[in-house]
Amino acid sequence: MLHIKCPHCGMRSQNEFSYGGDATIKRPELNKEISDQDWNNFVYNRKSLRGKHLELWQHLSGCRQWIKVERDTATHEIFKTLKANQDI
Amino acid sequence: MTSISALENIHIKGLFGDYEDKNEKDLLKISENKDLLIIQIVQYKSSSTFLESLKIDGLNLKNETLNVCSNSDTRILWNGPNSWLLVSNKKKLLREIIGKFDENNFAVTDLSHSRAIIELNGENAKEVLKKGCPYNFNELKKDNCLNSTFNGMPVTIDLLDNNPNKIRIFTLRSFSESLYHSITDSCLEFGYKGI
Repeated sequence: MLHIKCPHCGMRSQNEFSYGGDATIKRPELNKEISDQDWNNFVYNRKSLRGKHLELWQHLSGCRQWIKVERDTATHEIFKTLKANQDI
Repeated sequence: MTSISALENIHIKGLFGDYEDKNEKDLLKISENKDLLIIQIVQYKSSSTFLESLKIDGLNLKNETLNVCSNSDTRILWNGPNSWLLVSNKKKLLREIIGKFDENNFAVTDLSHSRAIIELNGENAKEVLKKGCPYNFNELKKDNCLNSTFNGMPVTIDLLDNNPNKIRIFTLRSFSESLYHSITDSCLEFGYKGI
């Protein structure tokens, strides 16, 4: 069981959160021409890293805010949590 | 038109669980809170309105984790950043709120009929919640509130008093019967009185 420190609410159980995927993926700019391959990469293709990883989580049963979590996918150690609009 | 409370068909008055040989005063008490005004207030991200200038029933909206602003009739629970839940005995407050919180800056939603409220009263109230909720209730103080889950059901918990513990548990009306079963099951060990 993980404990995640929500930047808004404080330390909470993983049960209250929902995983939201890789936080490093950036959506292509609006109205910009984009190849099918780039769109495919944005929507589907992900690296499954072993080690430090920046993830999106939503505090679904708490403040309902999206947050960023820097977590080691091998050890589950959480290094840092940030508000969704913050960068490391 | 009269409204039917969420627990009308399920809440039973009387003594239950391990209540024998115990003083009735020491038993947990479970009741349903009905006919309260419940309003959700959300400030839009684009809003530049200062919250200090807005008061409801003499109370400010505070953007602090776990914070509850209260007086004898009204409680304003922090529900998340720029989001609050107002609970009051005064039904007339709705007009005041709609008048003060303009629709360009705030979303005001009346949730009075979409929530069920179970009130737990007694020394062991926190122990009951610990059985189904992952929050560390030893840290919860008087006039604190939080959103969490109880056996998978989303709940808002409000600690009104801590001597003895008096706790309101809010949930969606559709979860009310399941939550009531979960809470009463957890209370059996201590013995409880439905009032």
